[in-house]
Amino acid sequence: MTQNEKAAAAKKRNHAIMITVLILLFLFFIMPFILVLINVFKDKADIVTSPLALIGAHGFTLKNFPEAMAKMDFFNVFKNSLIITICSTILTILVSAMTSFVIVRNGKWKMCTAVFALMVASMVIPFQVLMVPLVSVYGGIFGILNSRITLIFMHVGFSVSMATFMFHGAIHTNIPLELEEAALIDGCTRWQTFWKIVFPLLKPTIATVAIIDAMAFWNDYLLPSLVLTDKAIYTIPIATQQFYGTYSTDIGLVMAALVLAMLPILILYLFLQKYIVAGVTSGAVKG
Amino acid sequence: MASLSLKHIEKVYENGFHAVHDFNLEVEDKEFIIFVGPSGCGKSTTLRMIAGLEDISSGEFKIDGVLMNDVEPKDRDIAMVFQSYALYPHMTVRDNMGFALKLRNVPKDEIDAKVDEVAKILDLEKLLDRKPKALSGGQRQRVAMGRAIVRQPKVFLMDEPLSNLDAKLRVQMRTEIAKLHERLGTTIIYVTHDQTEAMTLGTRIVVMKDGIVQQINSPEHLYNKPCNLFVAGFIGSPQMNFLDALVEKKGADTFLDIAGFKIKLPADKAAAVQDYVGKTIVAGIRPEHLLDGRGKEDQFCTITAPIEVRELLGAEAYLYFTLAGKQCTARVASDVDLYVGMVGTMALDLNKLQLFDKETELSLLWTE
Repeated sequence: MTQNEKAAAAKKRNHAIMITVLILLFLFFIMPFILVLINVFKDKADIVTSPLALIGAHGFTLKNFPEAMAKMDFFNVFKNSLIITICSTILTILVSAMTSFVIVRNGKWKMCTAVFALMVASMVIPFQVLMVPLVSVYGGIFGILNSRITLIFMHVGFSVSMATFMFHGAIHTNIPLELEEAALIDGCTRWQTFWKIVFPLLKPTIATVAIIDAMAFWNDYLLPSLVLTDKAIYTIPIATQQFYGTYSTDIGLVMAALVLAMLPILILYLFLQKYIVAGVTSGAVKG
Repeated sequence: MASLSLKHIEKVYENGFHAVHDFNLEVEDKEFIIFVGPSGCGKSTTLRMIAGLEDISSGEFKIDGVLMNDVEPKDRDIAMVFQSYALYPHMTVRDNMGFALKLRNVPKDEIDAKVDEVAKILDLEKLLDRKPKALSGGQRQRVAMGRAIVRQPKVFLMDEPLSNLDAKLRVQMRTEIAKLHERLGTTIIYVTHDQTEAMTLGTRIVVMKDGIVQQINSPEHLYNKPCNLFVAGFIGSPQMNFLDALVEKKGADTFLDIAGFKIKLPADKAAAVQDYVGKTIVAGIRPEHLLDGRGKEDQFCTITAPIEVRELLGAEAYLYFTLAGKQCTARVASDVDLYVGMVGTMALDLNKLQLFDKETELSLLWTE
C-alpha cells in the first residue's frame, strides 16, 4: 500500500468515525423529542405499557390535546407567554442594541468601558443567587410581583448583558465607522444614523438574540414561578406543572402540553434560521 | 458652489498628538484642490475637519464667509466620497443615491428624477435596483460619486476615492472625475497620496508633510519650482535625483563639483549659489532631464556611470546607476541603446537643475 493510499484509507476511517459519533449525538439529543411526539398520540395506559411503540394498543388518539388545552386554560396561558416573550424579546433587542452602539462608538469614555465590564461580569452570576433577594425586594418592598410587566422588566434585566455583549461584537467588527460618517454627512442625526443605517445592518445578530432570548423567555419556569402567583397570568411552563400531581401524573396530557409549548418556538426558529447562521459566522471571514 | 477659507487651522488630539499645524488655505469657487502627502501627513485629518467629522482644535474654517467650526456635518452642505465608498449595504443603488434627499423630505418624484439624471451621467442606469454587494469596485465608486452629485452640494470632498481600484480602472476613473469637475463646475477638495492623481487632477495642490503645509501651488509650479527637497522628491515619478555638489568659483564662472564632474552653472543659477562658494549644496535633477549624452559632450555638461539596471516600460526605459554613492535614475526613450554593464554618458539639462540648501533643505531657486 502506497503512502497516498494509506493516507486516503486513514482519512476515510476518520470520516466514518466522525459520522458515527455525530449520529449517536444526534440520536441522543433527538430522542426526548421523538418520545414526546410518538406518545402524544397514545392514551395514558399505552404510554406506560409501551412508551417506545409508534402506535399504542388502543390506537391513535388526539384526545390528549383538547383535554390538556382545557385543563391548562391553554389560550389564556398561550396569550400570556406570547405577550411576555414578544415584549421581553423586543425590549431586550432595542435596549441592548442601543446600549452597545453607545459603548462601541464612545470607547474612549471610561464610563462606557466600566458599564460594559460590569455587564460582562454580571453574565457569570447565576440566577439562583439573585432569586431570593429579587423576590424579597420586588415583592416585599415594592409589592409589584404578580404582574406581567414586572416579569418582562426582569427578563430584560437578566438578558440584556448577554445581548449587549453580542451586539457589541457585531457593531465593532461588522459596521464600519465610515458608514455612520457618510450618514452624518448625508444629513442623519445620531438617532437616525442608528435606526436607518446601523440597526438594519445588525439583522443577523438581531435574529440570533431574538431566537436565543425568545426560547429562554418562552421556556422559562423558575422566574415566572417566583413572580406570577395569579393563575390568570400563568405562562405555559407554569401551567404544565399542574399535570404533575403528587401521587399521579397524567403523562398523556403532559406530552400534549409539551408539544403545544414547543410548536411556536420551533416555527420561530425555522423563520430565523438563515439569519442565525449568518449571525454566528458574521465577522469570521472578511466579506 | 462655494469658496472656502481655512485660517490657522490646528488639530491636536487628546493624547497630545499634533496632527495639523497652522493650516492656511483660501479655496476659490470651482477650484479642484488636492491635498497630497505621505501617510500620516494630516491630509485626511484636514479633510475630515472640513467635513465636520473631526473637531477643529483652533483656527477658523469658513464656507462662503460663514464660520463653520461648530456646524454639524449635515448642515455644512458638503458631500463626501470615502475611500471605502461607504455605500449603505442594505439599500439599493437608487436608495443609496437618494438617501440624502429623502432625509431632506424632497418629494419622491423629484428624488427619482434627480437620481435618474445622475445615473445617466455616470452610466449607472442599469444598476439602480442592485445592492452594493452585487457591484464591481468601479461601479461602487461611481455610485459613491453619484450619491455625492445628486445632492448638488457646495463642496465635494473626496478621501482617496481611487485607492481601492486596480491600476487600469484608476486611470479611467481619474479621467471621469476630471470630466465631472469640468461638467459640474463644483469646488472639489481631493485627498490622495498618489502624486500622479494630484498632478493630473488638481488646479492647485497642497503638499503636506508631518501636519505642515510644504507648498501650495499649481501642478506646473510644483513640478518646476519646488520649494524644498521634500516637495521636489515627492512630486514627479520616478523621483528627482539628489546629489551632493560642492560649489566652486573659477574667475567669473561658478561650477558644481558632483562626484568629480565639474558642471558649469548658467548665470541665473550661479547667482543663487554665490553665498555657498566652498560649501556643499544638494543638486536635484529629474530623471527625464538626464539625456543620453553620447556625442553631445560639447553641448551639454555630462556625467558618466556604469548602468546597473535597465527597466523597459514600452515607450521609455529607466536606467539606474550609482553616482557618489547615491542611486540615480535616468528616463530615456526605449530606443536608446544603453544596457546593463555599459558605461552611460548622461547629459544634464541645466535649465531644469534644482539647487537646495543642504541644512535647511529649502530651494535656492524658489520664487512664489
